[in-house]
Amino acid sequence: MKKILLACSSGMSTSLLVTKMEEYAASIGDEVKIWAVGQDQAKKEFANADVVLIGPQMSFLKGEFQKDAEQYGIKVEVIDMMAYGMADGKKAYEQALSLM
Amino acid sequence: MFEKLSKYLIPIAGKLNNNRFLSVLRDAFMLAFPLTIFGSIFVVLTNLPFLEKIMSAGALANFKDMFGIASSATMGIMSVFVVFGIGYYLSKSYEVEAIFGGAISLVSFLLLTPFIVTLEGGEVVSGVIPLDRLGAKGMFLGMITAFLATEIYRRIVQKNITIKMPPGVPPAVAKSFAALIPAIITLTVFLMINVLVTQLFNTNLHDIIYNAIQAPLVGLGSGIVPTLVAVFFIQIFWFFGLHGQIIINSVMDPIWNTLMIENYEAYQAGAALPHIISKPFMEIYTVGMGGTGMTLVVVFAMLAFMKSRQLKQVGKLAVGPGLFNVNEPVIFGLPIVMNPIVIVPWIIAPMVVTLVSYFAMSIGLVPPPTGVAIPWTVPFFINGIMATNSLAGGILQLVNMVIVGLIWFPFLKTLDKTNLIKEKEAEKAA
Repeated sequence: MKKILLACSSGMSTSLLVTKMEEYAASIGDEVKIWAVGQDQAKKEFANADVVLIGPQMSFLKGEFQKDAEQYGIKVEVIDMMAYGMADGKKAYEQALSLM
Repeated sequence: MFEKLSKYLIPIAGKLNNNRFLSVLRDAFMLAFPLTIFGSIFVVLTNLPFLEKIMSAGALANFKDMFGIASSATMGIMSVFVVFGIGYYLSKSYEVEAIFGGAISLVSFLLLTPFIVTLEGGEVVSGVIPLDRLGAKGMFLGMITAFLATEIYRRIVQKNITIKMPPGVPPAVAKSFAALIPAIITLTVFLMINVLVTQLFNTNLHDIIYNAIQAPLVGLGSGIVPTLVAVFFIQIFWFFGLHGQIIINSVMDPIWNTLMIENYEAYQAGAALPHIISKPFMEIYTVGMGGTGMTLVVVFAMLAFMKSRQLKQVGKLAVGPGLFNVNEPVIFGLPIVMNPIVIVPWIIAPMVVTLVSYFAMSIGLVPPPTGVAIPWTVPFFINGIMATNSLAGGILQLVNMVIVGLIWFPFLKTLDKTNLIKEKEAEKAA
């Protein structure tokens, strides 16, 4: 089970991507849990995640998130801009896998 | 060049976003948000234009009285929620008992509030709190008091000047005893301040802060030039892929929200609306037409007139969310971010349209937003009508969208051509 946490300002725009990533993961037979939260919620969810992806519009959170994420030994990365804009589930999912 | 600029902007954005006081302020206004939406629903319902035709004047007045309390108890006393929210979230950020921080802030604010009303005839009624002190008029004093009170409270708690109960005492009891000394000291400070101000200067802090800080700041914020500056910076931040509103609004929200409540109070009293610029103006007339930069019309143009696969695909993807004013697919998919071809319309169009809206409202062609809070995800046209309680408010948005479309079109065409060439080359290569 791969657990991927997406974070943006309110969890609204990243939720578009969640569905696409889930669809792609299902199509290649991966078992996943992917969910989106707002920036205030995100840190509390770190413990449940294998990797954290941030919406590009919130890229300035990376440094702060990274410090917290280290405690759990997980990586934080900003979602590739084009993958995010085109809601490219495959590309974003592969990015997540490369960080686990 | 853009890459370099972005290196400077990212730390600024991060600092503003993570600033403790600004993020507490943001959360405090979010606490008031569902309450103001509830109040707004009933303001809209009791002011529906056709009610006058189907109800007698007496019945309508009665109807308004019955449901008027819904907004009086929420938007009418918005400062109460903001004050409590600041106390709560600031305490939470320092990891001290948050609920007491909220309560102590609220009481500190009330300690500075006069419990008397002077009637028009000069008669003084005591034992009442004037509603407007808890609404727009007390907003800035409330915010300042809440921050100060919580800072005092948390310092005393963190210095461990508290009464500690032996283990075995129920936690709720132990917690309220632990808050005892910090509460008494903090509240005494504000009581003394109030005694000093009322006795020595024969006035109250409400009036002092209102006249010295709130009125000038809010007056400045209601002008068109500062508004255009704010719009400009929001667009610039987004151009670099950063969430412009999160950054700019954290500074401007106290002013825009105060303007909104002032409009609401005038509207409920049946007076002329004092402001054009307010929180709803910013939400409905800059974001409410498809997201930041009013891109819904750009999405329509992509679907209808553009030929490259890239633009068509972005258009398809963006039209659904765009109707609800979410436009990340356009911003990152078109992309707008760091794209020199679209920087001109991206920045110019919202500024032109903001100016048009302001002008249409200042000459009375379209009524300004009444001060009701509309969730920013309500689709365009509907949100414009709801915000202004007038069909003209929706029509203004349609006009705005045509303007945005015209400004964008030549740039979009250029982008389309470049994309077509690239796509053909890619096909040849394949």
